[in-house]
Amino acid sequence: MPHAIGADPRPRTRRSPDGRWRVAGLRCRACAEVAAYTWPVCPRCRGPVEPADFGPTGTVWSSTVVRIPVPGRTPPYALAYVDLDDGPRVLAHVVDAAEPATIGGRVRLTAPTADGDPRVEALA
Amino acid sequence: MSAVAVHGVGTSHFGRQPERDAIALAHDAVREALTDAGVDRVDAVWVGTVFGPAGVAQRTLRALGITGVPVLTVENACASGTTAFLEAHEAVRTGRYGRVLALGIEQMSTAFSGAITPEPSDPEQRGGLALPALYAMSAARYLHLGAVTPAELAAVSVKNHAHALHNPRAQYSGSYTVEQVLGSRMIADPLTVLQCCPTSDGAAAAVLAPATGGPREVRVRGAALRSGRVWDHSSPHVWGYDIVRDTTADALAAAGLHAATDVDVVEVHDAFTIGEIVTTEALGLVPEGAGGKAAAAGVTALGGTHPVNPSGGLLSRGHPLGATGLAQLAEITWQLRGEAGGRQVDGARLGLVETMGGGVSVLDGNACVVAVLEGP
Repeated sequence: MPHAIGADPRPRTRRSPDGRWRVAGLRCRACAEVAAYTWPVCPRCRGPVEPADFGPTGTVWSSTVVRIPVPGRTPPYALAYVDLDDGPRVLAHVVDAAEPATIGGRVRLTAPTADGDPRVEALA
Repeated sequence: MSAVAVHGVGTSHFGRQPERDAIALAHDAVREALTDAGVDRVDAVWVGTVFGPAGVAQRTLRALGITGVPVLTVENACASGTTAFLEAHEAVRTGRYGRVLALGIEQMSTAFSGAITPEPSDPEQRGGLALPALYAMSAARYLHLGAVTPAELAAVSVKNHAHALHNPRAQYSGSYTVEQVLGSRMIADPLTVLQCCPTSDGAAAAVLAPATGGPREVRVRGAALRSGRVWDHSSPHVWGYDIVRDTTADALAAAGLHAATDVDVVEVHDAFTIGEIVTTEALGLVPEGAGGKAAAAGVTALGGTHPVNPSGGLLSRGHPLGATGLAQLAEITWQLRGEAGGRQVDGARLGLVETMGGGVSVLDGNACVVAVLEGP
């Protein structure tokens, strides 16, 4: 990272007791909006929220491979916007991808990268 | 309430000019704008800048002899300059100030060695989503949906680089082919380097005051600003589409126009080729899914039905973030006065400026400003 800041703003993935990785986020009790963040109120309607875990599986909404130097990163690296099943759209790194992940393809959350980024792997 | 007009505009040259500081860049823009307006003083200044350090507005203006008057600095990502314009317009319209300077300044070449450093307090930027990657996601989605082809994406770059051949202030220009654009270095798939705006330094300014019907005044018919809402993931649209569509509706209503197709010339936020395509659709200049075809068919080129970015756009004129909105406004002002030289849109009477500030996770954009202007 370019420089240290206080709290890490990225979505937090954790391993559930069943061994699967999930994103710890929120669900709005008023409008059912979901988000990959533990914010105090619903970003859409300001309604009350409750903690909710999302994943581990989802569908790639779009994807790219970043091929330029970005501070703190080693190119190339593959990114995808993943619509987690019944959950939010999250930005994730893609395991072992030299080319962009297939849009519409199924993926599964796995252990985060060494840098702490949410990460997915393609399902066969 | 007063009808408001742009009385003068000015810009620096656009490009990498690390040896020129904000004072030198702003001096070019402000001197030209004041001379253009035929005035030597203003009652207030709004300054748009994104990466300008604290105090840059007052430090810059003092060297231009503009001190004591209220100076307000605004930041709305790429829409910062247009936001400064919007606020200056509102201040004159409501009678708060009589004559207001809107100024955009950005010195990027000394701040970044390459792409803009992702903002570490934003989750997705912290996660490695550099700005080209954010737009690449939209481009990849459009390709997947069949809403654009690689050649259509490239056509935007070909067009805007060709437009800039007639703009002596532009950072880049050239006669490229679709093959050359697609064959240039890959930045973030599918966007190649010729589909990405450069790192630019520059300043741009405008003087606003009540309209008096003068022969060189460009009247502000309507302007609108929206901030991003939660990106609706059930929407069929890529990020940015909905906020541009809705802000455009606000601005057209304020201007008393039925549709963006009523205007003769537009300057839009083409930081990346896909951005212009999405924006021409969201503006309603072309039907949804037809933006790429329009670019490839020449509809949005000079001489086409709906000329877009005659200046060369951000892709070619350059993209000094905080200055960009006022550079767009200067271009439309010149177009509506018939002063745009070799890139003049014949008979242009109504023009539109659109600037999109992007890159805040969860939102469908940061801010969008749309303004409609009318020539003398």
